[in-house]
This record gives sequence, structure tokens and C-alpha cells, in this order.
Amino acid sequence: MIPQKVDYKRAGSVAEALSLLSANPDAKILAGGHSLIPAMKLRLNSPSLLIDIARISELRFIHEQDGGVKIGAASTHHDIVSNATIRELYPAMAEAGELIGDTQVRNVGTIGGSIAHADPSADWPAVLLALGATINVEGPAGAHDIPASEFFTGFFSTALEEGEIVTAITLPAPSAAHQSAYKKFMQPASRFAIVGCAVAIVADGGTITDAKVAFTGVSDAAFLDEAVAAALIGQPAIPETIEAAANAAAEGDIHINEDHFASQAYRKHLAKVYAKRALVEACGL
Amino acid sequence: MSNYIGKPLSRVDGVAKVTGKAKYAAEFDAPDLTYGYVVSSTITKGRITHIETSEALSLPGVLSVITHENRPKIAWLDMSYKDQDAPPGSPFRPLRDNKISYSGQPIALVVAETFELARYAASLIRVDYREAPHETNLDTNLHRARKPKSGLASLLKPPPPKPRGNFDEVYAASPAKVEGRYSHSPEHHNPMEMFASTVVYEKDGKLTIYDKTQGAQNSQLYVTQAFNMSFSDVRVISPFVGGAFGSGLRPQYQLFLAVMAARELKRSVRVTLTRQQMFTFGHRPATIQNIALGADSNGKINAIYHDAVGETSQFEDYTEIVPTWSPMIYPAENVTLDYKIVPLDVFTPLDMRAPGGVTGVPAIETAIDEMAYELGIDPLELRLINYSDRNMAEDKPFSSKELRECFRQGAERFGWAKRNPKPGSMRDGHNLIGWGMSTGMWEANQMPARAEAVLTVNGKLRVTSATADIGTGTYTIMTQIAADTLGMPMEDVLFKLGDSDMPLAPIEGGSWTAATVGSAVKVVCEELGRKLFKLAQKIPGSPLAKAKWDDVEFVDKHIRLKQNPAAAVSLQQAVDQNGGAAVWQKSTSLPAMMKQKNYSRAAHSAVFVEVMVDEDLGTIRVTRAVSAIAGGKILNPKTARSQIIGGMVWGISKALEEESVMDHTIGRFMNHSLAEYHVPVNADIHDLDVIFVEEHDDIVNPLGVKGLGEIGIVGMPAAIANAVFHATGKRIRELPITLDKIL
Repeated sequence: MIPQKVDYKRAGSVAEALSLLSANPDAKILAGGHSLIPAMKLRLNSPSLLIDIARISELRFIHEQDGGVKIGAASTHHDIVSNATIRELYPAMAEAGELIGDTQVRNVGTIGGSIAHADPSADWPAVLLALGATINVEGPAGAHDIPASEFFTGFFSTALEEGEIVTAITLPAPSAAHQSAYKKFMQPASRFAIVGCAVAIVADGGTITDAKVAFTGVSDAAFLDEAVAAALIGQPAIPETIEAAANAAAEGDIHINEDHFASQAYRKHLAKVYAKRALVEACGL
Repeated sequence: MSNYIGKPLSRVDGVAKVTGKAKYAAEFDAPDLTYGYVVSSTITKGRITHIETSEALSLPGVLSVITHENRPKIAWLDMSYKDQDAPPGSPFRPLRDNKISYSGQPIALVVAETFELARYAASLIRVDYREAPHETNLDTNLHRARKPKSGLASLLKPPPPKPRGNFDEVYAASPAKVEGRYSHSPEHHNPMEMFASTVVYEKDGKLTIYDKTQGAQNSQLYVTQAFNMSFSDVRVISPFVGGAFGSGLRPQYQLFLAVMAARELKRSVRVTLTRQQMFTFGHRPATIQNIALGADSNGKINAIYHDAVGETSQFEDYTEIVPTWSPMIYPAENVTLDYKIVPLDVFTPLDMRAPGGVTGVPAIETAIDEMAYELGIDPLELRLINYSDRNMAEDKPFSSKELRECFRQGAERFGWAKRNPKPGSMRDGHNLIGWGMSTGMWEANQMPARAEAVLTVNGKLRVTSATADIGTGTYTIMTQIAADTLGMPMEDVLFKLGDSDMPLAPIEGGSWTAATVGSAVKVVCEELGRKLFKLAQKIPGSPLAKAKWDDVEFVDKHIRLKQNPAAAVSLQQAVDQNGGAAVWQKSTSLPAMMKQKNYSRAAHSAVFVEVMVDEDLGTIRVTRAVSAIAGGKILNPKTARSQIIGGMVWGISKALEEESVMDHTIGRFMNHSLAEYHVPVNADIHDLDVIFVEEHDDIVNPLGVKGLGEIGIVGMPAAIANAVFHATGKRIRELPITLDKIL
């Protein structure tokens, strides 16, 4: 439980963080540290240098943009759940953020840190997928955007290139009849999702016109479940629709995780149960 | 006078425990202490063909590696290894020879100057085995079930009584019948404190041993016999025990190994087991039971069949009282009971909180619930229809039994009358709500014991007995009894225990310590009081000069006339009359056998439980539980409540979480850590309510107490299983009830 010797530098700006990172290929970005430091204590990760970006003021903001919201990568989970605009526009964000860890974790852990770490049981990835978020990235080659649906590539893996850092997350403007929800079955001690389901639907006059359903905890990385969405779109927002759509969850050609908390069969079952619970809430049933 | 007995007082040892002043076996120091680390067998059955210790021994600071090949001579006869809780058979002897009898068997002890070095050196020992096929699965070995051998242990654990009436005929003709097979997995005690012994090697070869045990004198007996030492050369001290639950009723192998190493090296040695090694000695045995009940249409149960098969080791016949609970609770006329054991390649099972009771009672109490549904009679009503003031296993009346009052008060507190009996009829969102109930029962025994009491020249009272306090509150209640008997404030009374030099006390188990040692403390204080009274009478001009013993009482540090409280002599004045010496008394308390033998003596409980079962997830929460206890006189409602709460929490654990999972292909318990051996955490425990029903009993012992160590757990598992049925309509007869059995 003691990490290997490591140097620590606090970056004052994104530019400084990027230049430190390019000079130290073995360095890791520290953005709260609630996942990285435990991993280092277990010596699963032994960087030579930690570059702390959590105190870069230009990374800690939440502001409205084009009817949506842009969230700086160093915004803490608490910053997000206590933001009135986010709570109003994206209930799933508030629900997910409130269920992350404990008060201390929510006060220090950041959304950028969480998604760059890409723990397969983390909450934010599922919500960002369902909401159609864009991940804003900066690196040696400058800034660019990655859709959330292309960002989470595998087990603790993302589309970030060498030397790049997450600077912000952009949530698109929700349409008028947009609703979202996040429900999870959590590990009672760590409160990580054994299975978490985020849904975002647009129901126009009782008919579901758009739907995104994303899972975390189920597979190597958070993913959009297209089969569930397909079973919803064009259908009336009634319990029978939800039942049928939820039953399609976590089927098909996906690898289902298994550990001593939940077998593959039980995880699959949980995915259906939590899809149903999230959809019931989003549809206001 | 009773200033303290019956009052909810905090523990006298509480401050010592929370400040770390209370010392446990592995915390005692000794000059030049060395450290032993146990090497465990990696196979389950076979022989060691070679054990390579040279690499370990080559490390500077490693003092010795003791194996079966180089161990000193030890006692030859089985008799020498029999402790006070030994079942019939041939007790396990560590390092006896190259034979492996179970997985995790200790096969070597590495002794070094530091613990870390001993542990590292132990990792360098290479062992070659010749493996033999093993059998660890009770289920697939039921055909080998046989009657257990009888021995001394059979006195406390008699086999079931012979059949009465004609079960087959009456059952066949019964209008209402239920039949079921009930089972549970093995469980391990898992106290917080690991087993440890610190053996201090004194200059003359005498040993002072700090041991984790429920009987200092039991450990002393074992060491003297196994190592052919005299009692005066072995002193065992165990003032505090960090939980034991029965696991300390037998000396565990770390004691044997530490003593052997200390004598060999002529140095002090400490051996502490690891959490994993805590799974390499006794456990609650897996047990499979069959029950059939026949009742008439009014609900009167006329026919009971109850059999049980438990596991034991290949070397000892561990037994429990299992089927006998059925006729102890229900007075049927036609009863057939059977109890057998299957020897397997495991260590001998070991008494674990309510051994046999929390095995047999949950089975019969689940079957009774099944019968209630078969008949369409409320489960509480069915129990009242079959209520008995006689124990039909022994055909004797109970010395007292306020179970009816437990049912009444428990049901009222819980709100049982509002229950809709239909399964699945109550819900809250996704959660199905179930209400279930059960009876609980445990014997109220008393053993012989001795105690010593001294009133010092300063007027302080010191009382000792060689019992143990495993966290139950023994220190506190004994202090209360002593203080009240001699009319002293508790601050002036010091009760000590856990030292083999103290007056004889039995092993601390069976819920008998309050009755047994409490009676001895009361007797010795009374007899000390008589001495003080005589001294008080000798004081020139004593107001008590002409008084008789029956005329006086002990109040407020004085001996005074009941009729004239002004006529008083202080205890200080009395002890001053003793020529400058303390006043001393040693006494024996014996159970009043002639009075007790015509009665059956037991504590009872009525347990009511609410569960919430998520219908989609199968998760079960016990949201509410009420235990109404008839346990005789309650000496201290605060420590008593803690005892019952602890039992209820464990009952939840047993019903829903706890099991030692054996991989039968390798014959080892696989979840040998607290990460994987599930026990409740705070989040699993909700509203627990305890009621002590008033119960007067002057037959059971002079204090009228029945002991509370086990009664708290006994009724919980069936109440939960029955509540799960009420919630879901699923009858789970296999404990623990995990969610895969619900979905």
C-alpha cells in the first residue's frame, strides 16, 4: 500500500501541463487522484512523475454554450451536481454524480480525470454516451474534439493519443421533449457501478422519437446499446415498450464482465432490470 | 440488596478496551522474544515425502525449523491430548508424522528473531507430497453416515431419545403433512482476533503462556499433558479475548507449536495464525436434515420425524444436538429422531455459537411455517396450539417457560396482527415485503465452579475465578454480583479472571458462565460475608453481638440489622478486627442437582422479522427484527441487549450471507479471508429490537439467570427464511439464502 517513489509537479496552465507531459513520456496526469493514487499504492501503476492539472483555473468551469453546457475537465463531481443548469437540462448527470463515491471523493475527484482513466465501472462514461457528449482534447498537435461514442475504446483505454489531455466535455443542447435518467446497482463499499444504465430519450406526443441507452460496469468499457434504442424509437412510451426494449439489453456480441460481485448471467439480468428502471423514470411512468 | 443487579450498566472493562489498555495474547511482550510462523499443508490428504528446510535455515536470524522429522518427543497416548471439549476419538497432534489429514494442516514451524523473517523463511520451505484421494463433500458421502462414538462429550450432547409412539402409522393417517430437506454450509468462527500464543520461557524452564482461549485452565491442562509438565510449571493467562464464539473452547495448534518451540529453544516464542490459517481448524459442520410433520386438521402436531447428518473429521467424532430440538419445542406423541455423522478429510468441527441449536431449530421452525401454510393457520397461532410446558424429549416440566409471553409481547411490538398471510401480498415499489417468525430455544446449564474473594485491609474487595470474558460482559456482571452481595460500591470491587492460577472454572461456553461463575461469586461473597459478620460481632460493644446471620444485611459498606439499620458495623471495622490481615474466602458452587434433575431448563425466544426482497434483483434486506427473550433474571440489561443484538446480527449473517465454500476437487475452503467470507456490515443491519420478558426461576440456579450467549441467534434464521417465503412464495431450505436461490 505504499507507492513507488514519484515526483510531483503542479501545472499552472494547460500549456505547461502539455509541455511537461511531452518532456516526460512516463508521467501521468493527476486530476483528483481518486483512481490513480490507489492504483499506484497497489503498484498497478508506477509513473515517475505526476503532473497535477486539478488546480488549473482555466480547466475548472461550467458554462452554457449554444443551448448546451460545457464543463471544464477539472470540474469536480460536486461542481457538476450542484450546478443548477445541469440539474435542469440533464437529470442523468445529477443522478450519476450524486452516486459517485462519498462526499470526499465528490469534492476532489474530477470528471476529466474519471473519463481519461476510463474505469469500466465508472459512472460518467455511460451518461456522456447517452447524452451524446463531445470530449474536448488538447495535445502536441493542438485541440480537437472526440465524440463520446468514439472515446471509450476498451478496458481502461480511450481514444486519447500520447501527450494529450482532456480539457472539457461539451453536452449538446437538449431538444424540447428530452428526458434523461441514470440508475445503477452499486458495489456497496466503493459505490462503483456493478451495472449502471444511462438513458436519454425524446418523446414527442407520446411517441419516442430518439433514444440513447448506455451501460457501464457491464463490459470492458461503457457502450451504447443500439438494440435497446432501436426497440424504443418509433414506439409509444408505454410500459410494454420499455419491457420489450429492456429485455434486449446486453444481448448480442458483447463481452460481459464477471467477478465475485456478479456473474455474467446476473450482470446481464441487472442490465435489463436497470435499463427498465432508468427508462421508466425517463418516460415519467 | 440490589443496587447493581438488573441495572443497565456500562462495561467495567470498556475504557481499557477502547484505549488499548486491554492486552490480548499476541500483545504481551517478553525479553528476547522470538517469532514462529506456521507452514501449512497445500494438499488435503497424503504423505510428506520430503521437506526441504536448508534454504530457510541458512538465513541469519532463523533459529529453527521444526517439522515431524526433527521435533522433540511428545506424549504417546491420545489421552494426553484430550482437552475439556475434546469429542470422542484421537485428537489431532501437530507434527506427529508425515501424514496429511486435511488441507492447511500445520506441517512446520519456522522460528526466527523477527516475525517478518520467520514469515519469509517459511516461504522458502519446499515440500514434496505423495497425494491420496480425499473426500470432503458431505452430500456425496451420505451413504457413509454412521452413529457417532460416545464418550465424555456425550454427557453434554446426548444422542436423540428413542422413538416414541408410532410415527409411520400416525403420519400416514395425518390429514396435514409436510416434508422437507434442510441444509446449511460449513461456517467459520472468524473472531476479529487471530489465534495467538505468547509463551514466556522463564529461567527455570517454567512457562507463562498468554493464550487466546475460552479456558485458561483448559490450555494449561493440555500443555501439561501433551508435554508431560507439572501444573505448577505451566501458567496460562488470558485476560481478554477478541471474540471466540466457541473457537477458543479447544486449544488450537499455535499453542502446541509455540510451547514446543519455546522448550526446544529455551526461549520465549510467539506464534500468531494468519486470517487464512483461521480456516485450518474447527468450523460449524455442514449438516443435512430431513423433517416430516403430521398434524390433525385443528393444527395439533401428532407426528414428528427429524433426522440429521453432520460432517466430522477422520480422527474425532464431533457431534451436536440437532433433531432433539423438535420434541423439546413441540409435544407430539409420535416421534422418530435420528442423528448420524460422516467422517470426511477435514479438521474436526468445533462448537460455534449455539452449536446444533441454530442448526436444528431453524429446520423445525421452517417446517412449522410450512405446516401453517398447509393448514391455513397463522404461524403464531399454530405455535400456540402446539405450546407445551413440558420438554417431551426428556418428558420433564420446564423449570420456567415464558415463551407464551414472548409470543405476545413480540407480536404486539412487531405488529404481527396486521400481517396478510398471502405470499407476495405486501410490497413497496420493487420490494416485496415479507413477515416471518420463529421460536428460539437454548439450554440453561450450570456447572460446578470455584471463586475466591478477599476483603483487603483497605476495605476493597477482590474476587477471582479462572473463567474467560470473550466480550460478553463477564467482568461487569461478576462485579455487579459481588458488589451487591456485600453491599459495596462497584468502584471498590475488582473482579479478575483468565488465569490458570485462579480458582477452578469450566471452559467459557454453552451460555453457562453467568449461571456458573455468577453462582460461585455469589457463594464466595456470602461466605466471606459470614466471616466478616463474625469479626463484626467480636468488636467490643458491637451492635451486632447478639444478632443472627439471618437478622443482618449488607448495605452501603456496612453490616446492619434488617430491623434496625442504625445498628451497623462497617466492613472496614470488620476487617480491622482481623489482626491486620485481609479477610479471605475460597468457595465452591455446585449445581443443586437434586432440585434441578426433575426439570428441563432452557431459555426461549420469539423472533419476528421483516424482509424486503427486490423482485428484480433478488437482494434481501432484513429491515426490521424483534426478539422477545425469556432468559430468566437479566443481570445487566445493557450487556444483555448487546449479547442478543450480536446474536441477531449473526442470525442475519447465517440466514443470508455466511458460508465457507469448499472446492471439493482440492478439498480446501476457498473464501478464507474476510473479503470473501461474507458477514454483515453496518449497511446490512437495520432496526433490531430486543424485549426481555420477565421470567422468575428459582430452580435453574441461585441467581435465576439462564445465560444469553446463544439464545439471540437461534430463532433468527428460520424467521428470515419464513419471511422470505412470505415475500416471494419461494421456500428456501438451504442456508444461506443467497440471491441466486431467489431468482
